[in-house]
Amino acid sequence: MGKKLVWILVAVVLIAPNIGAQDIALKGGTILTITNGTIENGTIVIQNGKITALGKDIAIPSGIPVIDTAGKFIMPGIIDSHSHIALADINEATDPVTPQIWMWEALEPGSDSIRKTLAGGVTTVKTMHGSANVIGGVNVTMKLKYERPIEELIIPGVRQQLKMALGENPKRVYGERGRSPSTRMGSAYMARKAFIEAQEYKAKWDKYEKDKAAGKKDLTPPKKDLKMETLKMTLEKKLSIDCHTYRAEEIVWIINFCKEFDLDLLQISHCIDGYKVADVMAEAGVFYGGWVDSWGFKEEAYDGCPYGMQIMYDAGTKMVINSDSPVVGRYLFREAAKVLKYTEIPEIEALKMITINAAESMELGGRIGSLEKGKDGDIAVFDKHPLDSTTKCLMTIIEGEVFFDYARESVTAKGGNR
Amino acid sequence: MKKFTPILLAVLLLFTGAKAGGTGETILIKNGTIVPVAGGPSSVGDLLIENGRISQIAQNIQPPSGADVIDASGKYVYPGLVAVMTAVGVTGYPRAGNDTDEVGTSTPQMDPYDAINPEDDCIEVTRVGGVTTVHTVAGTRSVINGKSVVLHLGGTLAEDMVAKRYVAQIFNMGATEQNKYPSTRPGVISYIRDMLNQAKDYAKKQSDRDAKSDTEKKSDNDKDAPAKRDLAMEALVPVVTGKTPAIFITNNEVTIRNALAIIEEYKLRGIIRAGDGILKYADKIAEANIPVIWAGTESVPERWEPHDLNYHTAAVLAEKGILFTFDSGGYGPGSRNVRNITRPATISVAHGLSEQAALEALTISPAKILGMDDDAGSLEKGKIANVAIWTGSPIQERSRVETVIIKGERIPMVSFQTRLYDKFRKIVEERMKKK
Repeated sequence: MGKKLVWILVAVVLIAPNIGAQDIALKGGTILTITNGTIENGTIVIQNGKITALGKDIAIPSGIPVIDTAGKFIMPGIIDSHSHIALADINEATDPVTPQIWMWEALEPGSDSIRKTLAGGVTTVKTMHGSANVIGGVNVTMKLKYERPIEELIIPGVRQQLKMALGENPKRVYGERGRSPSTRMGSAYMARKAFIEAQEYKAKWDKYEKDKAAGKKDLTPPKKDLKMETLKMTLEKKLSIDCHTYRAEEIVWIINFCKEFDLDLLQISHCIDGYKVADVMAEAGVFYGGWVDSWGFKEEAYDGCPYGMQIMYDAGTKMVINSDSPVVGRYLFREAAKVLKYTEIPEIEALKMITINAAESMELGGRIGSLEKGKDGDIAVFDKHPLDSTTKCLMTIIEGEVFFDYARESVTAKGGNR
Repeated sequence: MKKFTPILLAVLLLFTGAKAGGTGETILIKNGTIVPVAGGPSSVGDLLIENGRISQIAQNIQPPSGADVIDASGKYVYPGLVAVMTAVGVTGYPRAGNDTDEVGTSTPQMDPYDAINPEDDCIEVTRVGGVTTVHTVAGTRSVINGKSVVLHLGGTLAEDMVAKRYVAQIFNMGATEQNKYPSTRPGVISYIRDMLNQAKDYAKKQSDRDAKSDTEKKSDNDKDAPAKRDLAMEALVPVVTGKTPAIFITNNEVTIRNALAIIEEYKLRGIIRAGDGILKYADKIAEANIPVIWAGTESVPERWEPHDLNYHTAAVLAEKGILFTFDSGGYGPGSRNVRNITRPATISVAHGLSEQAALEALTISPAKILGMDDDAGSLEKGKIANVAIWTGSPIQERSRVETVIIKGERIPMVSFQTRLYDKFRKIVEERMKKK
């Protein structure tokens, strides 16, 4: 067994592309920094996985491998804040409240979905529990380091997010089995009951810890409850929340709910009706996470309206475009271009929706989402401007390592498959 | 957008509202880059529409008196896009279910024309996206699903919109039943053979009977005539006699192979709607001149396949000379986003397909597949005036559609989505003012 494992590890090391190559420089091309304008004929230097220099006339330290990106477009690695890739399981659909579920325990770093997503210029995703449960599991915010140990994928220090879901899905999953919730009222009750219990649980543990610290003797610790442990962490803001919901009244409901329990609600996913309550979302500082022009694929998605992004933009709602799909996750840059079709939102703001805004929606704005000195060397190289729909991703780099190379992994580059 | 939309909409309504229902206006589109797609090269010029048809494409056309003159300077004039696998018109009212996919393994007699709802929200959303013509099918989930209808998306009654009825019969080679026959793919092909055999017998009885004189018919007591009319068989007769095309929905190698076998065995006018597995059969399909509705562009390839295998497939189909169009990937309620028929085309162009071939696949090729290329699918003199003025190429996701003309009439550039926008912009702004 032990020997076998060693051989597998050796094989992984041999197969993995450019392992350890964390120093790299990209020379030439148009650099879309996202936060600090555009640099023509620029150079980016990445050392030990971090951007150490970028600009027009940058000397590349000797010994660093240089990639010629003349004529290409260089942008920060794309970030998908709603994905379900690389998971062996998605929904623990046996109970409407399952905060004891941690999605990294279903994570498959060797999943082909990671490779296919890398080919779309994506470097970071939040891969999530499904929407069967009112309170699902804890999502995984991770880098797409294909085939590496899980510990290398998960971003150190990142605050992970608890998935919640309202609306038709929990109603359908449990209602069809003659169980609660079968209504929106039922879902609201489930969520409230769980967090009230968690408050009581937390109070017991807080008292115990306080007594212990005060040196009291003969203390019996309260019974551990794994569901309550996660919710306690959420109350303590060690976890934040991403809530799946479509309809305006539910968006307002979850914002108020999170105020009531003092929870950090960062993103509302599938936020189809967001434009109807753009001001409420802006005031709450919660991110719109969703698509550009999806509508009508289910009843609660009927009022999807691509023009609505303009209302949100003008109201100051923070916006992220995400995929919820291994298909769309491969071309988020195409989705961003559609923002320009339906609104007067500037190009740069459309690009932010798949980069820096997405980073901020996961509290990673200081680390990824733009090309700045000191940030992670996560980069997507395109042959044309990423908002030009005839473009394709040529290279995807994570912390200075090439994880996707079009020249090696494309049938088109090889003259086609006939 | 925030300031312009309501004013723009009001102006457009003024211009178009009063003219609905006529037989076509005289419209002169001036100084646009006219991209006819077929029949000639692109050039900057004018396009004249009279009596619902394109009457002239030239430079410096003098406006006929009373003509509605549209300045298209800096804009691009394209034929209306044609979408071939849709449920437009039968997606149903919101919250009232849809009207596709009748129950039953075989329902060839189902005709979507009988359910066309001119108030379907999908109609406006689709046409303001530049898609002027749709092929709406009865369903896709049964083995034999029913008929189809082509609609030009202008008009207020189903009969105004309909361009052509019973364009094709829809078969699905992978529509296995659960716990009853046919529950396997060999079962499905066998089931289809049975039905087509019955239809041939039925057709023979009909033609034998038709060939007899009235006295003969009386003397043999109608022995050879069908005992009574069978509407399912009547629907299949034109398919087995080669009059009406048959679309075969496939989704992998086995179902493509079975569809090709049926087409050959019964000498059908077959059309393959393909997802995975098409490349293996591309040569055979090219040789047999079978048109393809390519639905797999966006599918994620298998783990042993390169990431861009499906992105590149349309380029291979074009290279092999196959007549093909795109399917936007969905049918049924999800297919309300028919306007995104351009999505697979843009991806294919990024991965090797020429822009011209992509435009053909969205216009003239589907018109040919539907047998309507005399009337639709390009900007050519004499064709029905289905025209869209774009800010750029449809092969760019950011390009907007500014004007749509269907059967020679300007379409109001509104949909329930623009109405939602107007309503909630006001609501949100008023709420913000109060704070």
